Order: sequence, then C-alpha cells, then structure tokens
Amino acid sequence: MISSGATPFSFMNDRLYLEIPESALEPQNQAFSSPGAAWQARLNQMSLEAILPWLQEERAAQVWPSVAVLPSFWEVANGTAIECEGMRLVLLPSTAIDLQELRVPQEWVDIPHWSADYYLAVQVNPDAGWIKIWGYTTHHSLKTKGTHHDSDRTYSLDEDDLIQDLNVLWIARQLCPEEPLRADVADIPALLLPQAENLLERLGNPEIVFPRLAVPFQLWAALLEHGGWRQRLYERRQGLLNSWSVPQWLQSGILSLAGQLGWKEQILPLAAQGMRNPAERLNGLSRQLVIAGNLYELQVFPRGNPADHIWRFELHSRDADRCIPSGFKLRLLTEDLQPFNHNEDTAIEAIDQLYVDVILEPGESLVWEVEPTPEGYDQEILNF
Amino acid sequence: MRTRQGLLENFSTFLQFQGDSFGGWVIDPKLRRSMQTCLSQSPQEESEIFWVLYWHRLWQTPARLLASAHMTAYLQEVCYWVSRKLALKLTGHHSTADFFQTASASIDKVLKNFNPQLGSSLKSYAELVLSGVIKNQVEKQQEVKLCNDWSLLHKTSHKRLVEALQFSGESHEAIARYILAWNCFKALYAPSKVQATYRLGKPNPETWQAIAQAYNTEQLSQFSSMQASSPESLERWLSACAKAVRVFLYPTTISIYTPILGQETGELLDQLSGNLHESLLAAAIATEELEIRKTQSAQINQFLITALTQLDPQAQTLLQLYYQQGLTQQQIAERLGVKQYVISRQLNRLRKTLLLTLAEWSQKNLHISLTSPVLDSMSNILEEWLTHHFSSAVAATESL
Repeated sequence: MISSGATPFSFMNDRLYLEIPESALEPQNQAFSSPGAAWQARLNQMSLEAILPWLQEERAAQVWPSVAVLPSFWEVANGTAIECEGMRLVLLPSTAIDLQELRVPQEWVDIPHWSADYYLAVQVNPDAGWIKIWGYTTHHSLKTKGTHHDSDRTYSLDEDDLIQDLNVLWIARQLCPEEPLRADVADIPALLLPQAENLLERLGNPEIVFPRLAVPFQLWAALLEHGGWRQRLYERRQGLLNSWSVPQWLQSGILSLAGQLGWKEQILPLAAQGMRNPAERLNGLSRQLVIAGNLYELQVFPRGNPADHIWRFELHSRDADRCIPSGFKLRLLTEDLQPFNHNEDTAIEAIDQLYVDVILEPGESLVWEVEPTPEGYDQEILNF
Repeated sequence: MRTRQGLLENFSTFLQFQGDSFGGWVIDPKLRRSMQTCLSQSPQEESEIFWVLYWHRLWQTPARLLASAHMTAYLQEVCYWVSRKLALKLTGHHSTADFFQTASASIDKVLKNFNPQLGSSLKSYAELVLSGVIKNQVEKQQEVKLCNDWSLLHKTSHKRLVEALQFSGESHEAIARYILAWNCFKALYAPSKVQATYRLGKPNPETWQAIAQAYNTEQLSQFSSMQASSPESLERWLSACAKAVRVFLYPTTISIYTPILGQETGELLDQLSGNLHESLLAAAIATEELEIRKTQSAQINQFLITALTQLDPQAQTLLQLYYQQGLTQQQIAERLGVKQYVISRQLNRLRKTLLLTLAEWSQKNLHISLTSPVLDSMSNILEEWLTHHFSSAVAATESL
C-alpha cells in the first residue's frame, strides 16, 4: 500500500516533477458520459493544476479557451491547452509508466482552431501525487516525423524523437526563433446547420462510446471547431437539452455553466436606454469581458413590446469614464456563423457603447462576437 | 577485468559473464572478419575515435545492423561498469548480468542521439544514456509489481501493448482486436478514486457486458470479419493483454549479439561496400573536426567552471549535494527540510540557467548553429559534465 503524498520511489530519473495540489485530488463534480471520460478529465485536471501555477511563476499563461468549458473538451478527447506568451501548449496526460510514446488525438493537430505549437508529454501518478513532464514536441515534428494512426485517429511520436528537456523549449524560442513550429493544416469545410443538427442528434447519444471515431474526421472536426456545437455535444451527452435559452434564464435563473462563464442576471436601469419613465427597470443578462486588459460588459435584454421579440446586444466599458476605443466591433451571427443584415456595430471613433438590435423568433439562435477577441472567448450559441 | 587490446578486438569481441561478474572476452567471428576487412583497406587509420565516427556514420545507412553490432562490441566495458555500479547502488536485488543485458540491447538509443559535433565522447555519452535506461527499467519493474492486472492495463501505453503482443507472437489482426478490446475497457472502466490506481478492483458483470457491447459495435467499422464476442471472452483477452505486458517487461535472455547479426556475412559486407567509401571519407573529415572540437571541449570546460563560480552559494550547495555527494532529490529535501518538489524545481531552474549560458556561449564562440535537438543534446552534455566535474572533485579530495 502506498501512502498518499509520499513518492513511492526516490526519483531516479531527474526530469521535472511537480506536485499535484490537494484541490485537484479531491472529487470533482463535473458530469461525463463514461467512466473513461471522467478519468481522462481527472488526469487533465491534475496536470493542469500542477503545471499552470508553475508556468505562471515565470510567465503569463492561461487556459484556452477558458476553464469553465474544459469538460466539453475532456468528454471527447484527451488534452488541455494553455496559452503562454503567444504560443499554445497542449498537455497530454497519461498514466502509462513506460514512457515509450507521446500520443496526440488528431483533433489537437488537424483542427486549425485547436492546433498548437507545442505538445507536452505528461506522466501522472495520482497515488503518489506528482506529475512529470518527460518530453515535448512541436506541431511541425508531429506532422513530419510522427505516425498517424487511422484506427484511433492519433498522431504518435516515439520517446527518442521527443525533446526531453523542457528548458530547451524556452531557450530555443530565444536563441533559434526561426525554427518552424507549425506545419500546414488544411481548412475544415464548415457544416450546414441541418448537418450539424444531425450530428448532434446522433453523437449526442451517450451510448455511442467513441463519438470521435463514429463519423468521418472532417465532419467531426467541423462540429468541434464551432465552440457552441462542441459545448452542445457535451451537454447532450450528459442529457442536458436547451441549457442556453435566454428567455428561460430570465424566467428561472441562469444554469451553472453559463454562470461559470460569467453570465448573470442583471436589473438594468432603463434611464440609460432612453425609456420614458426613468424609474422603470428591466430584467436582462450581462457578462463581463476582458479585452486588451480592460473590463467591458456585454448586455442582452428584450426591448419594447414582448410580442415584437426584439432583443438588444450592447457592449460598454465597465468603467463609467472609459469609452469603447475605435475599431471595436460587436457582431451577431446565425448559429452556423453566417452574417445577416445589420448584424454588426463598429466603433468608428471612441464611443460610449456599441449595440445591435435584432428580431428573433422564439427558438432562433445566435452567436455573438466582439473584435478584438475577448480573453477566453469561445463561441456560444444563445437560444431565444 | 582483462583490458582489450587493439582496434580489432575492441570492435569485435563481447564480454562474457561468469555468474554475476566478468568472465572473459569472446570473439564474434563475423564481426572480426568485417573489422579485419575495414582495417586492411584503411591501414593508416589507427585512432579509435576514427572508427567510432566511422561506425556511427555507417549506422545511419542501410548497414545499420552491422554498425550497431560493432558499436555494441565497442561499448561492452561501458555497459559492464554502468550495470555493476547500479546493481550495487540501487536498493533491491539486482544482478549486474541483467542490467548488462538491458544496456547492451539499448545501444541504438545511444547512437540515435549521439552528436559528435558537440565534442562529447561516445563512451561518456553512452554511460549517461545507459544508466538512464537501466534506472527507468527498474522504476518500471517496481511499478508493475505493485499493479494488479486491471491497473496495469491503465498504466501501459498503446505502443508498449502492441510490442508486448508482438513479442508473445500474436498476428497482426489479433493485435488489432486486442487493442480494440483494450480501448473499450479503458473507455468503460477506470479508477473512480484518485488514490487507488494500483489496485483496481475487477470490473463487475455489467461493466463486462458494456465492454463487450462496445467491442461488438466498434468491430463493425474496423474489421472485415465479424465475430460476436461475449463478456467472458473480453475478460479473457484483457487478462491476456496484462500478462503479455508483464512478460515483456522481463524479456528472458536476449542473446547479446546473435540476434542482431542473424544475416549472412556476405550480405552484410555487400551492404557495406556501397557505403564504404563515402563513410570513410566522412569519418576522416569528422576526425579532423574532432581535433578542433577537442580544443573547444577544453574551452567549454573552462567556461563552465567559470559559470559555476558565478552561481550564488545556495545554488552551489545544491549542485554539490546532488552531483558530488550523489544524494537523491528526496534525500536533499529531507536534509534541507523542504519538499522534494522544491528541490526538483530548483535543480531544473539551475540547469536552465547553465544551459542558456552554455548555448549562448557556444553559438558565439564555437559557431554552432543551434536547433532544438542540438540544445537537447547540449542539455545532456551539461548533465554529463556536471556529473564528471563534481565526481572528480570527490576523487581529488579522497586522494589527498
């Protein structure tokens, strides 16, 4: 029996060991469709909590796209992405003790939106409470030297072909910055809405044990590349339907995930909206955004007669004295990311607020975007 | 141990054990003939280093098997001393002969990442790599011993499992089926508690049912022939997988040189002749370069000694405890009253500082063009250098 916290063997090989913090060893209350996915999520969580604070000691690093949506990645594929000084690193935890290969799900390599600069091989020893980063490679090496496996849709690279010392990563950035990090990847053709709905219907069934292998990669990749669909897939596999309904949130409260992402109910003083009676107040939603280091707020609220189904999306600075700088854009898109008439507002000069009014039939959905991209942005499908 | 004499012997004889210690040198006739041919064609090349570079060069050509065998012969002493040292040092009962086998079977690993350009000697590089390989092996064996079958299946990589199944003689198709069964197992049965991953209970009947169902669904898309499989057969197959992994961890008596040189000598020499001229030339040039590198190696040495003195006293103490006194990170942590991770991180940071200084200096003064793989070998060389620098400091103190 191994006592927790102690290392079973003195570390004989001297690569970097990091401690898994207690918080990551405690049971997590995230839902997954299978024991394998739940375990995969645990391993990723442990690696992340051991590695991220260590990285942050010396450089700016944060989870991509955001901590709250990680379960929707872990449900379908191994790996956790971290953005660090303009580069993306993907942690690939494994409990394998033989350290013979790094195996990377194809999603992290061939989906343009997901692909990264570096891939880190992480051994996790949960009993002893440590992780070890035992090697890494680049996107370029995976694509040029790695082996692609059709049967489980992964790229693998042998231990001998990895760079063993993680210190080399930072030093190489400094001393040989011209070294190629990425190989080309082809764009993935976008899905049409009915295609996506079909896939969600089919792959959202938790009885499909390997959804990532159940349809051709191009279709699967296109589904995942859309943050809103990836999230929906995850929720369906947990039996959650329609958890992104704005009218429902306003009626009965915001569900936990949207809450974690920062959505909250807000009583909006209507004076600011130019209504007749300044005392009149209205229920709306708001979400804080960080853009280029400053705080902004995105608000969503109904306007006018409820029967007209008019909704306003409005962006303004959190700080009353600050304007929205010129060049900022607030844009609405259909669920399958198509533009429509009068779907965006641009700050031609510094301005108090940006807004778009839109008429939505009940059941219609939208995706919002802001330029420049807010920190931790991931496409969200809001249902009306 | 009797010391080998001359190039011919160094590149064509193998160490034999008597019990657990040195028994003598055996000549491998094929290697002897091959080396004789080489020496007669280039009688002017008398330095050992020339032939090391020559075979290293040939190892990167189709004559790889032959080159690997000659290098394995050449590195016999290194394999022996590394094995002996570790058998005495590591806790538990280890035999020198077992370690020696592991080391001898890993020469390709040494050759693959050896970079003569950086002025490091093959023997000291091999020592570092092989001692890592043996330590790794011991660590793995200890871990595997603690695991029951169900845990072991979670602690094995895809590649390892495939190799283990190949080693136990399974066909290509059978291996694909085992792997699918293993993937279904991992998807549907996993530890639910974080700190009990060495003793996973056996899956219950419902879980076996689910695994079999997943297997039967998935095989439709993967295999041309369909065989409905029962939960019982899945259980049997997965036990077989675990068994194969265990057996593969202790491959019984890999004969040291016969398997690598199974081919006919004539064939090997044919292979050789095509690459011979070019490789001789390349090795000759490399030897010249190496002479220059030797001077550089002295410069590197001087540079690193200076770099060390510029570290703060705390850092120097840490390096001494680790490299000079040979304490483990755990022992240092106990002595300094901190956690092991603190030591691991401090050592890592120190190595990074030294590596960065060394890399910048070599780029500027030795005009080495840096790439990530070069930096990675430099990191190994630094490790090698620190080990030797501090252990020779011990030797100097002891001899006083």
